[in-house]
Amino acid sequence: MRRNLLLGAGLLGLVLTACAPGSSADQKLTLTGSSTVAPLIGEIAKRYEAENPGVRIDVQTGGSSRGLADASQGLADIGMISRGLKAEETDEFQGFVIAKDGIGLIVHADNPVATIRDDQVVDIFTGQINAWQALGGSQAPITVVNKAEGRSTLELFLKYFELENSQVQADVIIGDNQQGIKTVAGNPDALGYVSIGAAEYDIAQGSPIKLLPVDGVAATTNAVQDGSFPLSRPLTLVVTEPPTGLAEDFINFAQSEQVHDIVRAQNFVPVNASLAQAKQETEPAATAN
Amino acid sequence: MQTSSSSKPRLDWAAIAIWSIATLITATFCIILLDILWHGLGQISWEFLITAPANAGRDGGINSILVSTGLILLVCLSVSIPLGVGTAIFLAEFARNNPRFSRWVRRSLDSLAGVPSIVFGLFGYAFFVQRLGLGFSILSGGLTLACMVLPILIRSAEEGFRAVPDGYRLGAASLGLSRWGTLWQVLLPSALPGLVVGLVLGIGRAMAETAALIFTSGYVDRMPGSLWDSGRSLSIHIFDLSMNVPGGEQQAYGSALVLILLLVVINSLASWIARRYRLGQQGR
Repeated sequence: MRRNLLLGAGLLGLVLTACAPGSSADQKLTLTGSSTVAPLIGEIAKRYEAENPGVRIDVQTGGSSRGLADASQGLADIGMISRGLKAEETDEFQGFVIAKDGIGLIVHADNPVATIRDDQVVDIFTGQINAWQALGGSQAPITVVNKAEGRSTLELFLKYFELENSQVQADVIIGDNQQGIKTVAGNPDALGYVSIGAAEYDIAQGSPIKLLPVDGVAATTNAVQDGSFPLSRPLTLVVTEPPTGLAEDFINFAQSEQVHDIVRAQNFVPVNASLAQAKQETEPAATAN
Repeated sequence: MQTSSSSKPRLDWAAIAIWSIATLITATFCIILLDILWHGLGQISWEFLITAPANAGRDGGINSILVSTGLILLVCLSVSIPLGVGTAIFLAEFARNNPRFSRWVRRSLDSLAGVPSIVFGLFGYAFFVQRLGLGFSILSGGLTLACMVLPILIRSAEEGFRAVPDGYRLGAASLGLSRWGTLWQVLLPSALPGLVVGLVLGIGRAMAETAALIFTSGYVDRMPGSLWDSGRSLSIHIFDLSMNVPGGEQQAYGSALVLILLLVVINSLASWIARRYRLGQQGR
C-alpha cells in the first residue's frame, strides 16, 4: 500500500512537473458565457489569433448567466450573453453588441397568405387553427414545423409568443435552419420559423420560400440590424471595466467588418459597430428583455 | 387440475413479459448504435481523425479533441487508480478491525457515486479552477473526473478484494509471506477482475461526461500545448455540435461513433492487459 501511494504521488508529481505552468502564449484572453455566442466567438477568435501571433483566446461556454458571473468574478476577461443587458445590470457591466439573431416565419413561396398576426401564430402553434382557410389561404391543413428542444431559436420564438414548448402541436420537428428551410420549400402547406440570415441567403439562392412580417415589420436582415424587427436579440460581449489593451482590441475586432463573413456563416446578422455602441449607451433599457 | 391449467398461461405471460423487456432494452441499444453507425460511418476517415476542427466544428476533423480527451483521461486515471486501489485495499484488508470507520467511508462513497455529475462539475469549478487556481484546464477537468470516478472504482475494487477467499490470506501467512508480499503476489492478481470492472466503468463514465467538464476543462478546440491549457473533450464536442451549432449533426454523428469505438477499444485493452497480467503472475 505504501508503495502504491508513493507510486501515485510520483505519477502525479511527474504529470505536474512535466507540464509546468506558464503557457507559450505571451498574451491570453478568456471569454465565457452563452452557448449561442460561443461558436461564433470561437471562430472570430481563431481569425484574431491567426492575425496576431502570440495571442491566445480561450472561449468557454456554459450559458449567459455564467458569462455574467465569470466576468463579474474576474474569472473571464469578457463575458458573452445572447441578449441585451438588463437595465439593472448596466451599473456593473458594459455591453458591446457584436451581432444580432433574428427569427422569421417562413412559408412556401406559392402560399397566398401574406401576413399572420401574432395571436394567429399562437393559435396555429397551439393547434387552435388547423387550416390555411382561416388565414385566407387554401383549404389545406397547416403543417406546423417546430424546432427541436435546446435550440436557441426555439427559446426566442417561445419567449416572444409567450408559449411553452409543451403547448406546441407540431407536425414536424426540425434541428437546424437548413432543415427547416428544406422542409418548408418542399411542402406548400408548411409554416416554420428560422434564422432570418439563413432564410434570406437561401431565397437569394432560389429556394421557393418567403419570409412573413412579424407584428407588421418585414423580416429582413436590415430590420434586424436596426433593431426594428421584434423577434430578435443582440449577441453581446460584456465587461466590468472599460476594456483596455488586448480586450479592447479584440472587442473592436469582433465588431469590425473583418468578421462579418464569419457572423453570416454562423447564421447571425452583423451589426454596425458604431450603431451598436450608440444604442447601448443611449437606451440601455430598450435591449432588456 | 383447474389450478394448474389456470396457472400455466400466467407463467407464460411472465416469461413473455420478461423476454419482451429484454428484447426492448436490446432493441433500444441496437437502434441507437445502428443510427450512429448509419450516420457516422460516412464521416469517419483518417482525415477526420488527424485534421483540426474548423467553422465551429462543422468542417475539418477532431484531432485536437481526441488529444484533449486522451489527456483528460490520462490525468483522471493516473490520479484515481492509485488512490482508488489504495483505498480499496485499506477498506478490504486493513479496516476490518475498525468496522465503524470503514462503514462510514463506504457510506460516503456510495452517496458520492449517486451525486449528479453537474455537482462534481460545480465543485471542480469552485475548487480546482478557482481555489487552486488551475484555471480552465485539462488538469482541472481530469482531477474533477477523478473525484467522480473514485467511488465507482473503489467500490468495485473492494468487491474484488473481498471476493478473494480467506484461505489465500491464511495460506500466504502460513508460508511466511510478508503483508506486502501477500498483497502484491496473492491478493492483487486475484482481485484483478474486480479492478478491471471498476476501471472499465470508470473510464466509461469519464469518457461520456459533459456536465462536469464544461465548467472545468472547457470548450477550447485548439490543440492543447500542455495540461494547463483548456481542451474540449469528445463528449462536449458532440454535445455542442448537436445542440449549439446549426448544421453540425453529421460531424456530431462522426464524433459519436469515434467515442463509441474508443470505448470499445479501451475496454477490450483493459481486459486483455488484465488477462495477460494474471497469466504472467500464475506462470511465475
